[in-house]
Amino acid sequence: MWPYFPDLLDRAVPRYTSFPTAAEFHGGVGANDQAAAIAAVDGPASLYLHIPYCRQICWYCGCNTGAANKAERLQSYLDALDAEVDLVAAAMPKGTGIARIAFGGGSPNAISPLAFVRLLDRVFVRFAANAPELSVELDPRDLTGEWANVLGASRITHASLGVQTFSPDLQARIGRVQPAGMIVDAVANLRTAGVGSINFDLMYGLPGQSMAELLDSLDATITLAPERIALFGYAHVPQLMPRQRRIDASSLPDQAMRFAMAACGHDRLTAAGYVAVGFDHFALPHDPLALASKAGVLRRNFQGFTDDQAEYLIGLGASAISCFPDRIIQNEKGPGAYRMRVSQGLMAGVRGVRRSRDDRERAMLIEDILCLRPADLSLFVGLNELGVALSDLCARGIIRWDGEILSPTPSTRPYARVIAALFDPYRATVPERFSNAI
Amino acid sequence: MTSCDTCIVRNRSICAGLGSEELAVLNRIARTRSISAGQTLMWEGEDSLLVANVIEGVLKLSTGTSDGREQIVGIVYPSDFIGRPFGQRSLQTVTALTDARVCTFARSAFDAFARDHPELEHKLLQRTLIELDRARHWMLLLGRKSATEKIATFLLEMSDRLVPQGCDQPDAPADSFTLPFGRQQIADILGLTIETVSRQLTKLRAEGYVELPSRRDITIIDRGGLTALAG
Repeated sequence: MWPYFPDLLDRAVPRYTSFPTAAEFHGGVGANDQAAAIAAVDGPASLYLHIPYCRQICWYCGCNTGAANKAERLQSYLDALDAEVDLVAAAMPKGTGIARIAFGGGSPNAISPLAFVRLLDRVFVRFAANAPELSVELDPRDLTGEWANVLGASRITHASLGVQTFSPDLQARIGRVQPAGMIVDAVANLRTAGVGSINFDLMYGLPGQSMAELLDSLDATITLAPERIALFGYAHVPQLMPRQRRIDASSLPDQAMRFAMAACGHDRLTAAGYVAVGFDHFALPHDPLALASKAGVLRRNFQGFTDDQAEYLIGLGASAISCFPDRIIQNEKGPGAYRMRVSQGLMAGVRGVRRSRDDRERAMLIEDILCLRPADLSLFVGLNELGVALSDLCARGIIRWDGEILSPTPSTRPYARVIAALFDPYRATVPERFSNAI
Repeated sequence: MTSCDTCIVRNRSICAGLGSEELAVLNRIARTRSISAGQTLMWEGEDSLLVANVIEGVLKLSTGTSDGREQIVGIVYPSDFIGRPFGQRSLQTVTALTDARVCTFARSAFDAFARDHPELEHKLLQRTLIELDRARHWMLLLGRKSATEKIATFLLEMSDRLVPQGCDQPDAPADSFTLPFGRQQIADILGLTIETVSRQLTKLRAEGYVELPSRRDITIIDRGGLTALAG
């Protein structure tokens, strides 16, 4: 069991899917910076396509998504996405290799299988993609047999299922009812279709969730043997996510309980043979994610922890984020405004941040810490200010610190975000917009 | 007798398997059109008004690149389906490479028909998956291979797709076929120079992989060897 230090966990810290984080994005960086960065791509790129629609909106969800209730609404979004694909592909240097193509949302399977295959075709042709790895996030409630067949025929290699919890009671509390049989069928259909790598998204810290229920959900997961598991703490931030107001907050587990859930969850999954990857992912030992972690080449990006080594991540679609070594740019969030921009031939980026040399150095250290590998601080200029904090963490056994190399200990994992925040100069004051570290 | 009854691609086209009643309905909204080599049937970016079955001939699918060049992104052959049902915009320009005959439908009428006939919608999905496969194949061809590999792959694909009409074994590739386009067009399609295309063809003949009875005719002598060259 990890040692519990409540004082370290009582302030909100970012998840650091990027550094600087989205809180530092501003309107001074936008479409022109995006166009210039795309034209300057110099190496393999990965693509992320955002489908901001779901058939049913879950109350807990923090994603940019809306109801897929009108066929015309979806179609006009997909037309705009086609237009952006054209725009971005035309701007990219000829011969740029495409390492991966990921579809996320929302729920990519909220659109029709035909529309999905067409979109994939479009992306392949426009980006002259050779043999990229293909991944899709899926809502099990809409994963029909036809969809599974289409994913197989499209040679999708990675699928991620939003499972969250197996408990019918908790599912009702968070507005996501999907009987266990549905998950079992979804996995069987995906396996039959030849999808080789399946991920489950699971949650702890849900309203009314008990430790026993969490462990039951983990056991049900272990039985189905997905290659990967992401175990997230539910972030209740109704001031930012109005749809969460429907959730009864009076029964949310407290911080000590959340910590215990993360710890017991970790123990249960690792005892079942999963390797802990980063601070909230798990993978079977032969899975590339586990191998990347072991080899010290795990990366962190907007999709979580990944073994993708591409230095250029191009986000397509409303609210999608593109990440370049020297800048991060986010597309217009609203589907309507996004459509307007790209249909006029404008790049969709409207905010972002440039990364200074100092930012990039800090970003690498933060990535090392979150990926639970040694971080070399010997050349880090901001070290003096951190001496006291590092010594304190060292004394508590949360890290090892020899004056140059910061190394993880068996107790680092639940505090990784807290340690990372020490290297984030933008976090001097505590904003409300982040969730608790555990 | 309706034109569907005598259609030579019906059994291999998207219409295959439709009952006589459905065919009668489809026949009423179909119009057969002849287009001559070089003529464009659909323009990229314009409203998508038509969908069509190819009856005869070969057409190219292309898109414009940012610097104004044309990029050929695929070739369609008899029995292939072109156009995007349920799609507002044409995403590709479709131009006849040879004189061709197509069976066209107004997109709106075809959409309405497909909505009423789920089995057709399902076929459309299967077709689109095949197109996706071809597109991936095509991108692999353009992206990865040497000139020799490109030409060998290209000839094999032609032999696979240019199967004589009405053939009893529609799946068997043709060993002898007439290329629907000249060497400059092959060069454009494969991203090679015309000189490279000519030299490669001469080399394949000299090494006994193919015969070249005329400038347009190809006979494959050593299919296994050509397949090995294609990589």
